[in-house]
Amino acid sequence: MGKRPPITNRVRELREEHDRMSQAALGEAVGVTRHTIIAIEQGRYSPSLETAFRIARLFGVGVEDVFGWEGE
Amino acid sequence: MSFREKSAWVMGAIMLATGVFYAQLVAGAPQAPVIGPLIPYVLAVIVLSIVAQAGLAIASPKEADAPADERERAVIDRAGNWSGMVLGFGVVSAIIMYIGGWTATMLVHAIVGALIVSTVAEYALQIYFFRKAV
Repeated sequence: MGKRPPITNRVRELREEHDRMSQAALGEAVGVTRHTIIAIEQGRYSPSLETAFRIARLFGVGVEDVFGWEGE
Repeated sequence: MSFREKSAWVMGAIMLATGVFYAQLVAGAPQAPVIGPLIPYVLAVIVLSIVAQAGLAIASPKEADAPADERERAVIDRAGNWSGMVLGFGVVSAIIMYIGGWTATMLVHAIVGALIVSTVAEYALQIYFFRKAV
């Protein structure tokens, strides 16, 4: 919980591409709070597999198009 | 600041203030029956908690109604785990002191004190995890 997870993501970029969807709207759509979306975007929190899939499906892409391993 | 972090700040402050209140009551009459300071303390915690939570819910009804999400649950679980250790340490210490000669009244006050400290620690840890770690 203390260490920053080695996972990168394109959530902010994908939000911008989807009519500048707000963090609150994304959170509501995938079942988490706006603060959790902020933590994901800042790389402070790695979402569960279920939430990762929900985010990816909402944007119409695969999970690996949203999340990646640091340095790859 | 999320609803649950606000709630942790408010509840932490209430537990701290009522804990000081309890300590003052006990210090005023250390060997008096336990029930004496316990009743006003419990009433103060209940009344202040209801008022504070109602105020927070009125200010943010939508957030108050929503269940904790996965990150919030992780924060609450982690803080609860650590604060449980604080409680355990306090209770075991109180029992050791009782074996060493403390009265039953002092034992009860020490256990209530450990409960108060662990609750304050739980809210403080929630705030820390909400802000820094998760």
